[in-house]
Amino acid sequence: MSLPKASLQRPRIIKETERLVADPAPGITAAPHDDNLRYFDVTIQGPDGSPFQQGIFKLELFLPEEYPMAPPKVRFLTKIYHPNIDKLGRICLDILKDKWSPALQIRTVLLSVQALLSAPNPDDPLAPDVARHYKENEKDAQRVSREWTQQYAS
Amino acid sequence: MAKVPRNFRLLEELEKGEKGIGDGSCSYGLEDSDDIMMSNWNGTIIGPGHTVHENRIYSLKITCGDRYPDAAPKVQFLSRVNLPFVSPDDGTVKPTLLPVLATWSSRSSLETVLVEIRKEMASPSNRKLPQPPEGSMF
Repeated sequence: MSLPKASLQRPRIIKETERLVADPAPGITAAPHDDNLRYFDVTIQGPDGSPFQQGIFKLELFLPEEYPMAPPKVRFLTKIYHPNIDKLGRICLDILKDKWSPALQIRTVLLSVQALLSAPNPDDPLAPDVARHYKENEKDAQRVSREWTQQYAS
Repeated sequence: MAKVPRNFRLLEELEKGEKGIGDGSCSYGLEDSDDIMMSNWNGTIIGPGHTVHENRIYSLKITCGDRYPDAAPKVQFLSRVNLPFVSPDDGTVKPTLLPVLATWSSRSSLETVLVEIRKEMASPSNRKLPQPPEGSMF
């Protein structure tokens, strides 16, 4: 006898959520909406040593029906000056696309997004103008990233 | 069934719209490309052939509130048009007079709204209605 698919998936989402709340990753919070347990309010603290240091960035995360066979959908709600994040907060990160594996979790995704703040990759840009700025004058681009962090993320 | 939250639903619609929908007779996009809440949209309808609307290009404004897609979007013509479901004063589409809005379902989308309006333009009762000068705006 086989169980319906939903009843196998649900415990994974609940287990992940319980662990996120009980044992949060440093600098990261994630809380599900009361009326939609697949939809999370997320905050990520800008990593020390990055231009995003001391910023608190708001994000939203959604686990689609196919999760964990398909990756979570994640987006920044706080404006951020970063070559791999566009004006609508969409993130260019391989594990959110073709490098997704069901072995990854919400926690690993959010840690990867946090790591992306420390390691912008202007060679794989989502915001071409920001990437050009980072390539041509990294110091000046970081200054703008710091200004935006102060203006929008604190 | 997982319920897709408003913002992720609108992101999907945006990406679909950017790729281009159908035969290109209807299109839509964000009014302001950094509108993080994705509330204000522009729509375009190319008037259906063999009607008074043929070759005309109609601009519309579509507003998605906090409760979209549970609640229908607000739709307004920016281009002047004479249709029974459009206010002659400011171009507002009267939701009770357009079936896709009157019987709104969260399965409907910005695309279906524009496609349904275009179908109405070509309906037997609307296709020959006298129209204001081409290109005039509300």
